[in-house]
Amino acid sequence: MRRVIVRIVLTKNLNLSQTQKIKIILKLEINKITRETFQSSKLIAHSLYTRTHLTTYIARRLLTVIPTMLGVLLVVFAMVRLAPGDPAELLAGEFATPETIKIIRERFGLDQPVLTQLGLYLSNLAQGDLGESTSKRSPVTKEILTYFPNTLVLTIAAMLVALLIGIPAGIISALRPGTIVDLLAMLGALIGVSMPVFWFGLMAILLFSVQLGWFPVAGTGTIGHLVLPAITLGLGTASILARITRSSMLEVLSQDFIRSARAKGLAGRTVIFKHGLRNALIPVVTVVGLQFGGLLEGAVITETVFAYPGIGQLLVGGILARDYPIVQGSVLVIALAFILINLIIDLLYGTIDPRIRYD
Amino acid sequence: MAAKTNTSPPRWRKKLFSSWLARLGFVLIGLFLFVAAFAPIIAPYDPNSQNLRATYVPPFVGMSLTGPEGQLGLWVREINRTPLGEVMIGETQYPVKLFVRGDAWSWWGGILRSDFHLFGVDGAIKWYPFGADEQGRDIFSRLAYGAWISLSIGLIAVGIGLGVGVPLGVVSGYAGGRLDLVVQRLVDIMLSFPGILLAIVLVATFGTGLTNVMIAVGIATIPNYARLVRGSVLSLRDREFVEASKALGNNDWRIMAQHIVPNALSPIIVQSSLQMAIAILFAAGLGFLGLGARPPEPEWGLMLARGREYLATAPHVATFPGLAIMAVALGFNLLGDALRDALDPRGKS
Repeated sequence: MRRVIVRIVLTKNLNLSQTQKIKIILKLEINKITRETFQSSKLIAHSLYTRTHLTTYIARRLLTVIPTMLGVLLVVFAMVRLAPGDPAELLAGEFATPETIKIIRERFGLDQPVLTQLGLYLSNLAQGDLGESTSKRSPVTKEILTYFPNTLVLTIAAMLVALLIGIPAGIISALRPGTIVDLLAMLGALIGVSMPVFWFGLMAILLFSVQLGWFPVAGTGTIGHLVLPAITLGLGTASILARITRSSMLEVLSQDFIRSARAKGLAGRTVIFKHGLRNALIPVVTVVGLQFGGLLEGAVITETVFAYPGIGQLLVGGILARDYPIVQGSVLVIALAFILINLIIDLLYGTIDPRIRYD
Repeated sequence: MAAKTNTSPPRWRKKLFSSWLARLGFVLIGLFLFVAAFAPIIAPYDPNSQNLRATYVPPFVGMSLTGPEGQLGLWVREINRTPLGEVMIGETQYPVKLFVRGDAWSWWGGILRSDFHLFGVDGAIKWYPFGADEQGRDIFSRLAYGAWISLSIGLIAVGIGLGVGVPLGVVSGYAGGRLDLVVQRLVDIMLSFPGILLAIVLVATFGTGLTNVMIAVGIATIPNYARLVRGSVLSLRDREFVEASKALGNNDWRIMAQHIVPNALSPIIVQSSLQMAIAILFAAGLGFLGLGARPPEPEWGLMLARGREYLATAPHVATFPGLAIMAVALGFNLLGDALRDALDPRGKS
């Protein structure tokens, strides 16, 4: 706007020769063109940057993980030292002899300055030494390696349950918004979010294991052992996924390209699944990633309900037995697993949604 | 800016009560608050009074304390006789009445003292509307007192989350720079312990018990608020009205208090309702794991855990506390949804 005014002023009011006027106008035009080209070239440069420097992004994202991991380590390190009581006695366990306490104190350098202790802790950790369980009398690392795979299996099974229930429910609701089906599905999803995991687990045991005898009450080993815990754990996530899928689907279905696809005469099913769902699933994938963490947390309670030998049961048992090495180890593993999952999801992000730029 | 006129109170309020789900939420929360505030009146008995002959008595059953001692009878309701039904023990009928005298109680730190109860059975029997637990305590009464515990856990935990998380988020988002970086890394660390795990870590460190649970759950909610508030502050920081206030010579604290916080309020309100549900679920979860309230506290999660051992023979002990937790959490979730729909300026039409 300003440029146009300037041009008019130049051409009408100033006493300049015709060539001078043309020269000035040309100059202004050139300025305009270069500015525009500069801007577009910046855009090109930007996209080039994002393509070639994905590795830089990954490196940077990995770097931000390091302070977080260190923070988590610090918290776990501080747990025993902040707890009321002598850390050496806590780490040695309730029925430890004075000799064991002395050994523990020397091993973890508990009579030395805090920084030395931290150094010792980190160097032990780097060697995979998380201390010795006081209640099980075995290395914590070994315990975690036996328990953690079970939790991974349970978490993945629960995620499958969540995907199989949540996404179809969300799609069905979104296709018939405001109907009784939608209302019931969304009320169901809210109940799923509000239901205490442990209560649902107990009720499932009562109905399917005690009354009907379809599944074993507790334990692990067969697929049958996995069914109830996976459903119990997955239901909350299914509810969240149903809500996200519904709102995302509703938003996508109201957009212009869906109308175009319909106007083009495509079959309703093609429009909904090929054009609608594929776009609507982008935020769902993000939530799936975040929910893996939620499942790890829910696993702590679910495993206790079903006496399922996972890391959550190890943790809770450790707390109740005042087995601090076990508590430290399992907390550390759960938190690190959570950080790692979030990292992977962040890195996958760009592959799923090409519109996302790393900078 | 024309949208501003759309959020005038009547429209706002109308929107809040517009859906059935929202109304259900208000009913559930209203009921919960009422029960929590007047627990001793609603509960027919003292939550800790034991009756070892009445262990695991099923719901609706009454037990005579005199005469044929320990004899059980069921609650029945015949139309056109007694409005609340009656408990039949042998041939004798004991009607359930409104406003009866019973166990003496004192509430609100002794301000309220009486022996009046909303309902109960006169005379020589005890009636267990939701059955009795492993020590013959009335589950209904324990649930009523437990409502107060859940409400205080929710309020204190959300209070801690609000009190620390909101200032942290506002300052971090407004100041930016190094301070923001440090706060965000701290929040990252806290969020690395997913959900209840942070509360578990804190309880494992500082010990179990109701007070520690409230504090632990409160601390666990801080990062959520800090993240949320920082996000909305970032979107507000460079708006014209903030610049205008700055140009008028107002200092940063005043700008934060007068312009930033009020404009970031609606997501905070919505979050608080959802966070109440989460706090109550977390506390119940800790209680269930044996890391929360200690016996004989009538905490819902703990009650549920006790019922677990006799699930096959006395399922009611675990059923009712679970239903109570679910109803309250559902209420706060519904309320949060309704608030979001009502306060969201983009508003679904």
